[in-house]
Amino acid sequence: MNWQPIYALLILTSTLITYFAAYKLDTTTNKKNRSFFLYASLIINFGILFLYKYYDFFNTSVFTFMEFLGVRMKLPDFSLILPVGISFYTFQAVGYTIDVYRGQINHERHFGRYALFVSFFPQLVAGPIERASNLLPQFRKKIEFDYHKAIEGTKLIIWGYFMKLVVADRLAIYVNSVYNNAESHNSASLVLATIFFAFQIYCDFGGYSNIAIGCAKIMGFDLMTNFQRPYFAQSVAEFWQRWHISLSTWFKDYVYIPLGGNRVSKVRHYLNLFITFVISGLWHGANWTFVIWGGLNGLYLVFARLLGLQDKKIERKSFGLIISASKMFFVFILICFSWIFFRAENLEVSLLIIRRMFLESGSVFIGDVGIFIYCIMAIGMLLIKDIIDEKNISPSLSNKKGFQFMLYAAMVIIILIMGVFDGGQFIYFQF
Amino acid sequence: MKKFIVVIAIGLSIIFVLDLVFGKILEHFYFTQSSGLQYQTTYAMQETEADVLVFGSSRACHQYDPRILEDSLNMTVYNVGREAQFMLYQTALLRAVLKRHTPKFIILDFPDTFYTSEYDYDRLSLLYPYYKKHPEIRNIIDLKSPFEKVKMLSWTYPYNSIITTIAVGNLEFNKTREVNINYAGYLPLHGIFDKPLDSVPAPQTYEFDQNKIDLFKEFIRLTKEKNIPLVVTYSPIYYLYDKDPSMELCRQICIENEIPLLNFTRDTEFLDQRDYFDDATHLNDSGVTIFTKKLAALLKQKGLPKVTTSGTE
Repeated sequence: MNWQPIYALLILTSTLITYFAAYKLDTTTNKKNRSFFLYASLIINFGILFLYKYYDFFNTSVFTFMEFLGVRMKLPDFSLILPVGISFYTFQAVGYTIDVYRGQINHERHFGRYALFVSFFPQLVAGPIERASNLLPQFRKKIEFDYHKAIEGTKLIIWGYFMKLVVADRLAIYVNSVYNNAESHNSASLVLATIFFAFQIYCDFGGYSNIAIGCAKIMGFDLMTNFQRPYFAQSVAEFWQRWHISLSTWFKDYVYIPLGGNRVSKVRHYLNLFITFVISGLWHGANWTFVIWGGLNGLYLVFARLLGLQDKKIERKSFGLIISASKMFFVFILICFSWIFFRAENLEVSLLIIRRMFLESGSVFIGDVGIFIYCIMAIGMLLIKDIIDEKNISPSLSNKKGFQFMLYAAMVIIILIMGVFDGGQFIYFQF
Repeated sequence: MKKFIVVIAIGLSIIFVLDLVFGKILEHFYFTQSSGLQYQTTYAMQETEADVLVFGSSRACHQYDPRILEDSLNMTVYNVGREAQFMLYQTALLRAVLKRHTPKFIILDFPDTFYTSEYDYDRLSLLYPYYKKHPEIRNIIDLKSPFEKVKMLSWTYPYNSIITTIAVGNLEFNKTREVNINYAGYLPLHGIFDKPLDSVPAPQTYEFDQNKIDLFKEFIRLTKEKNIPLVVTYSPIYYLYDKDPSMELCRQICIENEIPLLNFTRDTEFLDQRDYFDDATHLNDSGVTIFTKKLAALLKQKGLPKVTTSGTE
């Protein structure tokens, strides 16, 4: 990832292209011309993204395939460093263009306001990927300081840092020590590391999202919720309604539905689901492991539909606690299995890990006992807070100001005592 | 806005009070530990009055037996070596020791290399609990990042990630754990290395960390200022190396400062005996006995320690 100021030219280019395209889309009635401006905007923006993020990957993949066919040829790699946030602001800007094309919103006349929408700092680097219909109207209003929003924002920031520093970065120590030496670890250790990774990535990304949303809230802006306690999902479909919500809804609105969504034949519907998730996987990184991760989640959804387990709203009252917990557990296992591909360095390591998970018995690797204890404590504290929020337990207590003060002050102290301050980095920076 | 500022001020006040209370509690229990590596660091920094101190990383704390050196030198010896702690830590420790005690002789097992490694700076967090009590080491800890001074305003932060260790360090049973059994700071290893002698290619030229070089020079200067004889050693290692830029630079600095440098890394008595090693870079207890005796004999042979009018020899 690169922070060089010159990369501001890239975001400026995306901003100018999409601003101009939207202006033309709104002021042109000719269907052919409108299509031209839309596709020009898409091609240029996705072209830039492809060049920086995917060119080397596709070049290598195509070359490997050609070599397999006996043809030796390869174009030179560019080895460009990925500008920070490019995947996020590109999608945000492209989403705006498409919304204008569809007539869902009017183009933004004020260039400065539109540029602010594309480069709004709390969510520029790692989302949430905002919709113009949500954020632009807020920029048009006169913002006055809102005490309640500021308090909520502050609380979100503290909770976000807790998730990131106390949970995610702590778990990363164990996960890295196992996954980076997978060939030396047995089933128990690899399973545990995978479970830890599930919480690590949730807290890393969810934590960042909370900090971003909290920052925006203090300034008076409401960004969309990006994570809603995803491991409480009782189906894979529900998981994707709770996980990286801004991205999954983006793919639903701009990929899945244009492909036909579910308003086509069953086979085509399943194919649309699968394709959408494969592309979503690819968005996460230029590696076949991400493609497989996305495809696997797509397959989960396809099989759920094939088996008649639809993503309709589940009436919680109808199911006992045991059944609910069993469903959550089963979904958690499926998701954890897919995380193997997300976390592993490459396909070979993924398969090695899976093989060792099933074949290599032994006792679990503890490593540093202190770190291990902190990992367990961190997950414990996270689950307590998430259960309280999910079940809305003791709203009368949690609404008391004194209790709130003490809770968040204690959270800050816990961050000071248990947070990891050395060498941690947000995983989603790499996107 | 006013109400928000007031609420934030109240929140910060509560955090300040909690930070102070928890910090003081942790500080108390940190310094009441009676065993473990943190206790050993505290003892080295604040209590030892041994005549001879052995500094260095894990290659010091696992490879120098004070009992053997005491017999030979007729002086009390304490091994203040600490695992995974290199020149930054060694000079900080020396500064703290010299504030209250002047040893009669110092042996420095050359700690690793002078190359740039951010992990060496990360490991300075070991010294956090001493930041407030030892102003002489603060500017070394501050090398870690520009924000250390701000972080150290907290009373709780110095004990980040070590509460479990603090708890265990205060328990009696911890003294009997094998990992904590030590003889005046010497932590014996008992394994036997089973891999063949390996060759390590000459490392490519790498960028030196000027901080480490400066602190090594300061280490030498401090001993000279206090007229403490200093000997630098490269203790035995179970691999063959061609040339190491850091060791070459260390040798040059020792020559410039007239500091004796004793190199055991090419000693065939150790290179021919895999059984003396726990792993490629650490002797086991048997090997330590041989090595420490050999070191003691060599010191005697060279008439070390000897104080001259110029400082050390």
